[in-house]
Amino acid sequence: MQNFNLFGDSVVSMYFCGKNHIAPIMMVLLRNVVIHAPDSDLHGRTQDIFIKNGIIQQVTTAFDPPEGTQIVEKQGMHVSIGWMDVGVLAGDPGFEHREDLDSVAQAAAAGGFTAIALYPNTKPTIDSKSSVLYIKNKNHNLLTTIYPIGALSVGCQGKDITEMMDMRQAGAVAFADGHQSVQNAGLLMRSLQYAKACNALIINVPHDETIGGHGQMHEGIVSTSLGLAGLPSMAEELMIQRDLHLVDYTDGRLHFAGISTARSVELIRAAKHKGLKITASVSIMNLCFTDAALSHFDTHYKIMPPLRSESDVDALIRGLKDGTIDFIMSGHKPVEIEKKNLEFPYADFGVIGLESFFGLANLYLHKKLTIHQIIRMMTVVPREILGLEIPVLKEGEVANLTLFNPTEKYVFEKKHIYSKSKNTPLIGKMLKGKVLGVLKKEHLILF
Amino acid sequence: MTQLSTKHLLGIKDITATDIQLIFETADQFIDVINRPIKKVPSLRDTTIVNLFFENSTRTRISFELAERRLSADIVNFSASASSVTKGETLLDTVNNILAMKVDMVVMRHPAPGAPHYLAQRIDANIVNAGDGTHEHPTQALLDAFSIRRKLGKVEGKKIAIFGDILHSRVALSNIYCLKKLGAEVTVCGPPTLIPKYIESLGVHVSYDIKETLNWCDVANVLRIQMERQDIKYIPSLREYTQYFGINRPLLDSLKKEIVIMHPGPINRGVEITSEVADSGHSIILDQVENGVAIRMAVLYLLSARR
Repeated sequence: MQNFNLFGDSVVSMYFCGKNHIAPIMMVLLRNVVIHAPDSDLHGRTQDIFIKNGIIQQVTTAFDPPEGTQIVEKQGMHVSIGWMDVGVLAGDPGFEHREDLDSVAQAAAAGGFTAIALYPNTKPTIDSKSSVLYIKNKNHNLLTTIYPIGALSVGCQGKDITEMMDMRQAGAVAFADGHQSVQNAGLLMRSLQYAKACNALIINVPHDETIGGHGQMHEGIVSTSLGLAGLPSMAEELMIQRDLHLVDYTDGRLHFAGISTARSVELIRAAKHKGLKITASVSIMNLCFTDAALSHFDTHYKIMPPLRSESDVDALIRGLKDGTIDFIMSGHKPVEIEKKNLEFPYADFGVIGLESFFGLANLYLHKKLTIHQIIRMMTVVPREILGLEIPVLKEGEVANLTLFNPTEKYVFEKKHIYSKSKNTPLIGKMLKGKVLGVLKKEHLILF
Repeated sequence: MTQLSTKHLLGIKDITATDIQLIFETADQFIDVINRPIKKVPSLRDTTIVNLFFENSTRTRISFELAERRLSADIVNFSASASSVTKGETLLDTVNNILAMKVDMVVMRHPAPGAPHYLAQRIDANIVNAGDGTHEHPTQALLDAFSIRRKLGKVEGKKIAIFGDILHSRVALSNIYCLKKLGAEVTVCGPPTLIPKYIESLGVHVSYDIKETLNWCDVANVLRIQMERQDIKYIPSLREYTQYFGINRPLLDSLKKEIVIMHPGPINRGVEITSEVADSGHSIILDQVENGVAIRMAVLYLLSARR
């Protein structure tokens, strides 16, 4: 039974009750699967992949599997190395009713992610070696690897820097105050300097609270027509400008997480040309929707950064195409229904995004980006930025794979959500691109 | 056209110019009714209306209550501070509880923009928005435009200026929607910090010069400076506001023409408008109050026909 215990007990029982199954596999064969591996000869080929004891043994055609092999054969099945998401919020410890580590790992796996980097906004925050180890130790039973992002300031309170070297040693992959933007320029400066000693990346969500502190949605024509306080684009852009100065001064390494405006893209493009050590990401919702989605006060679209204008969305996509923006994040932020099903100003910001990520990205972006670009941004790029080992799809390597069908359309329903919170406007919507399963070492889960 | 296009009155943005005309024509008849010795009609007999006020209000609540009584409706009043509701029972629970007592219509004032829209998506009763935070106050806009129509004969082509805190004002927003739908020209005038950056997208002019704007307009709708809505300081002091944006007698006397003065109340006498101006022959402030009852009767009457 040991092999059954992939997600921990609760998950195992859930999966066995449902249609999905976990295979306690020594040997598995992925039959007739299209390979996405742009850096390899196998790219674009339809092959059989035979995995034994968690190692890719053979990539071939018409493989004759030994007895006892589990064969996975699905119409239109594609495979790539396992996907990764950065900047995921869970609630463990402190807000387990929203999301705990088991449920976020399930949600991630259902979204095709074999790795996620978790923000530190818990209670207490992940701001010490022991709390980093708490997250790391939970990984033993999980199919999705959870990488902790350590807090940049003690308690994410934006005052004093944390013991970054100690946390880095314990396994923190980067430092950030999570979804809380670092308001204090001096703190960010010292963080960028200090983190160089442990070669760590600093992440900031650019948002100047003195400009946008009271805002409820993007400041523009829609916010004006709804009488809702606006979040000016400038709140983000001012902080990016400030942070670029700080990166220039410190020669540190900074990632702008979840940018949302056209001018932000311009600023980052120019700074990259100049050679600053910066990277940037954008949340999938900001690529698919505009502030017009809020015209009827639907709190499911109340997110941070806010949904902006059509021209912002266009500029973000151009930024992705030319490499100004490095990757797309799900922006997964679970919020319990009691905090969401409220009058607009009282509702919390946030949307979950792990399970629907691929279907949404593929649906909205397939004409603008190639599937290879999308997959690359979900696999290689975030790992490169965080300095993590990148799985390889070839014989002799450890299996770390995501199975998906990029053309399958399906209606996204509650049953597809494994997160404890269901705060998404996508329920009932048609998505394009389905995750069929993930396979990591000797563990396989199919959806 | 004898019916409104909508089941609720959530905002002026959601209704048509034809709806507005229908409300005005109906209100004309109710003006006659409330000036008769017997001011009551049986139109809403057997209709139960709940007045839900999650924010303080005197004049709007009384005006609605009077309108409801004159239509012979049964009424229930509920007042709660928004804070007690946010700390405890949710809006939906509060309203569902009240609806379980078989209420037909809800008149609601609430500090959250969109609160009546939130309810409209979840309950069956007709909803009348009596002010939702900084969003809309549709009956105020209707009564303002109705008062202009009665005073000047029509609204179309008239130049209306709205003075004061446009940023936090539901009255300004609803007035803009209403006046534009009726074909008026609108200018908003006030300190730049109290004017939303994108307000021109609604088709209005912006001015920071009170004298120039007064000279331009046929009607000046003067809004209250709402210090209670200002969590940060948008203007340095009331004194300076009065000095540069207050309307006083010498200012009116210096104009090249006579203009109509309106104010939705309550007035901060000596702040945005002096007593001399508020009580002058230019002012139709008390007509607005009388018209308010007729407009609210018309709205309730027409909405009840959509049940």
